[in-house]
Amino acid sequence: MGEYLGILVATVFGVAFVAVTLAVSSLVRPVNPLPAKAMPYECGENPVGTPWGVQFNIRFYVFALVFLIFDVEAVMLLPWALAYLDLGPGALAAGLLFLGMLVLGLADVWVKGDLEWVRTEERRALKRRGASPAAAPTGGSA
Amino acid sequence: MSDALASLGRFLPELLLMGALAVVIVADLATQAWSLARSRNLLVGLTLAGLGAAFVASLGEPGGGSLFASMIADDGLLGVLRPLFALTAIFTLLFSLRAKELDGARMGEMVALLLTVTAALMWMAGSVNLVMIYLSLETVSVASYIMVGYRSSDRLSNEASLKYILFGAVSTGVMLFGLSLLYGLTGTLDLYGVRAALAAEDAGPALILVLLLVAGGIGFKIAAVPFHFWCPDVYTGASTPVTAFLSVGPKAAGFAVLIRFFYSGIAQPGADGTFAAVGGVDWQGLIIVLAVVTMTLGNVAALLQTNMKRLLAYSSIAHAGTILIGAAALSSEGIGAIVTYLVIYLFMNLGAFLVVILVHRVTGTFELEGYAGFWKRSPLLTVAMGIFLFSLMGIPPFAGFFAKLYVFAAAVEAELGWLAVVGVLNSAVAAFYYIKVLRIMAVDPGDGELPALRFSRLDGALLLALVTPNVVGILFGGALEQISEIAQRLLDLA
Repeated sequence: MGEYLGILVATVFGVAFVAVTLAVSSLVRPVNPLPAKAMPYECGENPVGTPWGVQFNIRFYVFALVFLIFDVEAVMLLPWALAYLDLGPGALAAGLLFLGMLVLGLADVWVKGDLEWVRTEERRALKRRGASPAAAPTGGSA
Repeated sequence: MSDALASLGRFLPELLLMGALAVVIVADLATQAWSLARSRNLLVGLTLAGLGAAFVASLGEPGGGSLFASMIADDGLLGVLRPLFALTAIFTLLFSLRAKELDGARMGEMVALLLTVTAALMWMAGSVNLVMIYLSLETVSVASYIMVGYRSSDRLSNEASLKYILFGAVSTGVMLFGLSLLYGLTGTLDLYGVRAALAAEDAGPALILVLLLVAGGIGFKIAAVPFHFWCPDVYTGASTPVTAFLSVGPKAAGFAVLIRFFYSGIAQPGADGTFAAVGGVDWQGLIIVLAVVTMTLGNVAALLQTNMKRLLAYSSIAHAGTILIGAAALSSEGIGAIVTYLVIYLFMNLGAFLVVILVHRVTGTFELEGYAGFWKRSPLLTVAMGIFLFSLMGIPPFAGFFAKLYVFAAAVEAELGWLAVVGVLNSAVAAFYYIKVLRIMAVDPGDGELPALRFSRLDGALLLALVTPNVVGILFGGALEQISEIAQRLLDLA
């Protein structure tokens, strides 16, 4: 049990720290609620909808996934770059193979148009309907 | 490093699949970027070549020993299951050419997913490391979710995919929690290390929790009750070739993980090919309960179905229960019986799904009413369906009979005669709904005069390839014995 005691102490201290700070500040601060102050904060813009049940465009997921390609690449290549001089040509080949697979992934999203906010095929469909791509529903603030 | 390089040579089927995957993705991109015509044939051809090469490379005697620092066992069980996965994928690919639901659009993504799942199934069947088990299982699951939701404009398909993801995420999460507890109990990720640690010291009640959690994850993959709820909806919503694939490939890999985890991880081989539980928890009862509940619920629920794909979904749940009898036997014979069953199940279940695909091509429905009067439209298709269904029923001389025979024999050998009796009774219940389908096809009058069916050469070849093993299974008793014998050679029993 001894080794878990630290976690317990940290938890109790963390909760107490916030509670005490809030309690003390409520004793000394002026109370002046305004509707504008009660609004959820959204990067200086007027918020749309409630902060509960936030909806955002599904396309952000695609961008997050594409970002992951580069993110994982950087994480994996750092130790490789440090060690490959000692490991010889096999490690170089393995690293290049890994890079090749990531480039393939990038090429895939590029050709399929996932790097565009309005995908190529959707833009064509919109054009056929006579609407301008700028009028495409983007949903959420880009 | 040298171990990894040495392992690569014995990892050939998986490497071929990965190579084919890269080629297929490049080919797909090239055809899209330059708008080449006939891209579908090119992609299917490349995929077939990759799968065929992997199939051929996976034949032959397994090497024995383990790969990649004891991550994957290159033993008899993997040796038998590798070609099974490749064969399932080949059939699925050919089915998808004939299925009305898949119009060939975005074929590149479909075949890429198929290759990924097939390779991941092979990793899964060979895993002897807790992390490897989880990773391979998750790879199979994630690719399966996308395959199920592949028809993105179809609401049923979307619903099925979402249900599959939700159930899958919970099940694999639960399983991961169980595996982490097991790591905490034993201090090792290696299954054989787990066995040694548990044999040295009983783990106490925490091991019961581990077993229940891990059984949840494996039960999800093999669609055992009570982890089966996703099964009927997913089978109905997915396009039929994908359903056929899910009902055979991941199920077989799930059973491989079950054998690995329970027989190599928390049991020890004793004399004369039996296994004994280690760690102070007798888990045989857990498997027996799962088997009985799964069989019974699957069969009873199948009786009530009016949709062919739902009926086959519950039938596949019931078959999972029957196979679990083999797992409850706690013997090498049981392992052999499980794998033999899976091999035969491939031919009978894929056969039944092929008929479903061909019927759907002309009637456009999966409802049982759509099968009325098929005898008049195509006696050939009706006879073929009869063979598949009799085989699924377990009627001699069809192959399904031998599958059940081995499983029940293993149970009797392990002094679980009553469990075999429950299995036989369940087969009798199953006969009702299988015969119901046949009665509708052969006896019920169809509405009006419908044109006779015409088959393409591919249909004929596929039907022949799937009917033959079911009919002449009896002639290959020797081959089945051999498969069973090879599969029993687990890593430590070679």
